[in-house]
Amino acid sequence: MLEQKIMDRIQKLKDRYPRKESALMPALMLAQKANGNYLSEDDMNEIAKFVGVTSGKAYGVATYYTMYNTKKVGKYHIQIDTNIPATLMGAVKVLDFVKKELGINAGETTKDGLFTLDEVECLASCGTCPVIQVNDVYYENMTAEKTKALLDSLKKGVMPKPEEPVYFGGTECNVLLKNRRVKNSTSIEVYKKNGGYKALEKALTMEPAAILNEVKTSAIRGRGGAGFPAGVKWGFLAKGTGKPIYLVCNADEGEPGTFKDRQIMEYDPHLLIEGMIISAKAIGSKLGFIYIRGEFDWIADILDKAVEEAKADKKMGDFDIIVHRGAGAYVCGEETALIESIEGKRGQPRMKPPFPAVAGLYGCPTIVNNVETLASVPFIIEKGADEFKKFGYENNTGFKLFGVSGCVNKPGVYEYPMGIPFKKLLEAAGGPKGKLKAVIVGGLSVPILKADELEGLNMDYDACIKKGTMLGSGGVMVINEEFSIPEIAYRTIKFYAHESCGKCTPCKEGSYTIVKILGKLLKGQATQADLDNMVRIIGSVNEAGSTLCPTGQAFAMPIKAMYEKFNDEFKKLLK
Amino acid sequence: MKITINGKEVEAIEGQTVLQASIANGVYIPHLCYHEKVGAAGKCRACVVEIEGMRGLQTSCSVPVRDGMVVNTVSQSALNAQKLVIDLMLSSGTHDCLACEQNGNCELQDAAYFLGIERASVQYGEINREFDTTSEFVYVERNKCISCGRCVAACNTTVVNQVLDFGHRGHHTEIVFDTDKKMGESSCVQCGECSQICPVGAIVDKNARGKGRPWELKKVESVCPYCGVGCKLELHVDPRTNKIVKVRGVEDAPTNKGMLCVKGRYGFDFVGHPDRLTTPLIKENGQFREASWEEAVELVASKLTEVKDKYGADSIMGMASAKVTNEENYTFQKLIRTGIGTNNVDHCARL
Ligand SMILES: Cc1cc2nc3c(=O)[nH]c(=O)nc-3n(C[C@H](O)[C@H](O)[C@H](O)COP(=O)(O)O)c2cc1C
Ligand code: SF4
Ligand code: SF4
Ligand code: SF4
Ligand code: SF4
Ligand code: FES
Ligand code: FES
Repeated sequence: MLEQKIMDRIQKLKDRYPRKESALMPALMLAQKANGNYLSEDDMNEIAKFVGVTSGKAYGVATYYTMYNTKKVGKYHIQIDTNIPATLMGAVKVLDFVKKELGINAGETTKDGLFTLDEVECLASCGTCPVIQVNDVYYENMTAEKTKALLDSLKKGVMPKPEEPVYFGGTECNVLLKNRRVKNSTSIEVYKKNGGYKALEKALTMEPAAILNEVKTSAIRGRGGAGFPAGVKWGFLAKGTGKPIYLVCNADEGEPGTFKDRQIMEYDPHLLIEGMIISAKAIGSKLGFIYIRGEFDWIADILDKAVEEAKADKKMGDFDIIVHRGAGAYVCGEETALIESIEGKRGQPRMKPPFPAVAGLYGCPTIVNNVETLASVPFIIEKGADEFKKFGYENNTGFKLFGVSGCVNKPGVYEYPMGIPFKKLLEAAGGPKGKLKAVIVGGLSVPILKADELEGLNMDYDACIKKGTMLGSGGVMVINEEFSIPEIAYRTIKFYAHESCGKCTPCKEGSYTIVKILGKLLKGQATQADLDNMVRIIGSVNEAGSTLCPTGQAFAMPIKAMYEKFNDEFKKLLK
Repeated sequence: MKITINGKEVEAIEGQTVLQASIANGVYIPHLCYHEKVGAAGKCRACVVEIEGMRGLQTSCSVPVRDGMVVNTVSQSALNAQKLVIDLMLSSGTHDCLACEQNGNCELQDAAYFLGIERASVQYGEINREFDTTSEFVYVERNKCISCGRCVAACNTTVVNQVLDFGHRGHHTEIVFDTDKKMGESSCVQCGECSQICPVGAIVDKNARGKGRPWELKKVESVCPYCGVGCKLELHVDPRTNKIVKVRGVEDAPTNKGMLCVKGRYGFDFVGHPDRLTTPLIKENGQFREASWEEAVELVASKLTEVKDKYGADSIMGMASAKVTNEENYTFQKLIRTGIGTNNVDHCARL
């Protein structure tokens, strides 16, 4: 039986959402936290009944998202991210150190029940990798010594306060990162003092159509990865349906190598909220959601507080924002999966059409935009589309956040106009550590570029396409000669196999099969026939439409590029 | 309207999907997650085709036909993708058809045969969950499950028993009963809809296992004898023993669309049961003896007349059975009302 005070909180959640089923995920998390980080079957059943779903649904949700512990974990759940940026920055050493120190492997719990160790995926903080997440808390820029101190403290039962993460980033444009180094930048007072909510004031004097038109004219392309023009998308919104319109901010920040949205939400939450209020006015939405990845628990708290401040300061008008926390699923960054997740379901993509702009959240017209996209709206409205277009060039307008991680001296998030030379970005990030071998420029799902292909590369949508890759989310991962590409390919496909939602066959079984093949290869047991099978899988999955959502291509493209461009490294490992 | 499939112009009907139009015109496209009753899910990706003017591959189960549409179901890239799907399905489970109950009636097998796949090209899968034999009538072997989702959709939206769902994710996705209970310990009512709709041998009728191959069994259409709904069913009879081996619902029956309840689907052992009465019995001195129908009816009539004369018509009540037809029930109430003269007549289905 859940305690009354937990039930009261679940009741509040139920009342807050348009549909009570949406309370399922936060309710399960509340129950888990109240029960020593363990989600019991009884609690699951009780909550299922309370929010009106079947127990099968609740179980399906609890086992879909990685953050629900349906098996008991230790008092301290040590989660070490070893995704590509982390690996490039020494996380495997940290993991090995912890294994030795605790005497357990990943996936195991110490005999005294104090520690459970897990190897996890990218935590959207790649600039400060290695990151160790203990229960809800991030410890960044970890080294073996710091890890030792952390474990010693935990053994004494003390969760140390995490150090402020090292911040190298910089801005040339002074928009999205303007307040990054400002003290108390999350408070509405500071935000306003630095010119915040001026755009909203202006927007309140404008007709919705005029706001939409300004955004359209700015030609801003979605910053979530696909680069679809935001104004055009808003224009697709189904009109006159009599149904509510929802605005959803995609703060899932799941693409490995991407850690830019965090900078906005953690350090300048009101910029996002202002952008959402203005955008909501443009599209006629009365209720917005921020879907934030579950690991960013403290950032969600910052956003919750900022929403309250904005409300108290009468900034929201008749618009409201619900901060909805994910629970560990990369695919929930895909907009229809994200919508399913807000609806309290397993975050699996839907068939399209219908597109969200026609039938999205709760079957109503819905606009989904990335954090960075929405946070750019205040500038576009306050200064005008023409000012925005002064950054970048045609079809690639505006300022953009680039997260640089991996083998560089100053990993961090950098704000530059679209189209800056890659070289300049790399220099800003302190240049490569060691001898530059290759770079992945747009998050893990884009094709890798060899060092010699970087010559003349500019960082924008069209220039990247010309070079055979994509700008994606702007997550740049720099790889030096120390690293073997087959090993990186193996870690990459492990990520996708782990994150495949399991809805469609080619993605779920294709990714899993490639894990097996590359695993064999790294052990020196693979034959050419194995690699041929891999090539066949990749070739077919890479075909648009062979999988239900783009995740299939998201792994086929990078593996294909790694295999083709570094073929000799793969061949060398054959039996 | 006219559409072109693989170079041939054919007739299609507004509202059809490309898959439906193809099948109606005799062109098979592998498809495993689509079923008329649960609709398109876009999950298996076996049904992909190329359509002129549309980018990449399209799932034929979800795209509606348009006049003049040009479809290629066997282009190289469509075939490659179809083959990959079937290959991966075969690879990721234990598809040892020899021993499988569904052999000869399996949609995965049909697809593999059509595509010329003799055996899976990769064998890296290793799921090893034991079989779930806890249910009285249904047998579950997850190693053969291809996660098509039909059973989950059917259990939740067709029969609305809301037991099945998917748990976990990625390669580890599997069907679960409630909170991953054993089927026999779950809230399942054993309607068998999941077994009816499963395209492969992952959920099958337990008591039919090993009792005959699909091609050996004679199919006889009949009406369920249990209640007034009158579900249409198909008896699978072993011609050698003349015994019913299993029962399936008839999918195109307007009464039940293939659905049955636990009684209609699994309660057929009474048919050949030795305790079953085959002739009327009359009790004399505490002992039953066999009698002819004439004698039995004669006896009942005389006894009823006796009771009516002595205590009046209202001392008699007629109780009709749900197992007989509407017409028979009509005749029965007529008998009670006009023959005996009382309104004391009811029907067991109302109790
Ligand atoms: C597998 C997958 C993961 C994605 N992850 C994210 C993400 O973490 N954040 C994000 O903003 N967009 C993500 N996207 C893109 C979204 O589907 C969507 O295009 C985007 O949120 C739209 O916003 P934008 O137009 O402002 O970029 C992802 C897409 C896919 C297919
Ligand atoms: S490609 Fe298929 S399995 Fe992979 S994430 Fe998308 S829908 Fe899920
Ligand atoms: S499910 Fe189909 S393919 Fe698999 S073993 Fe049975 S008959 Fe063969
Ligand atoms: S037998 Fe019926 S109730 Fe039981 S799981 Fe199957 S469909 Fe659901
Ligand atoms: S058990 Fe059968 S119907 Fe259910 S998902 Fe598996 S293959 Fe499909
Ligand atoms: S946070 Fe470590 S890899 Fe992204
Ligand atoms: S039948 Fe079309 S995707 Fe399965």
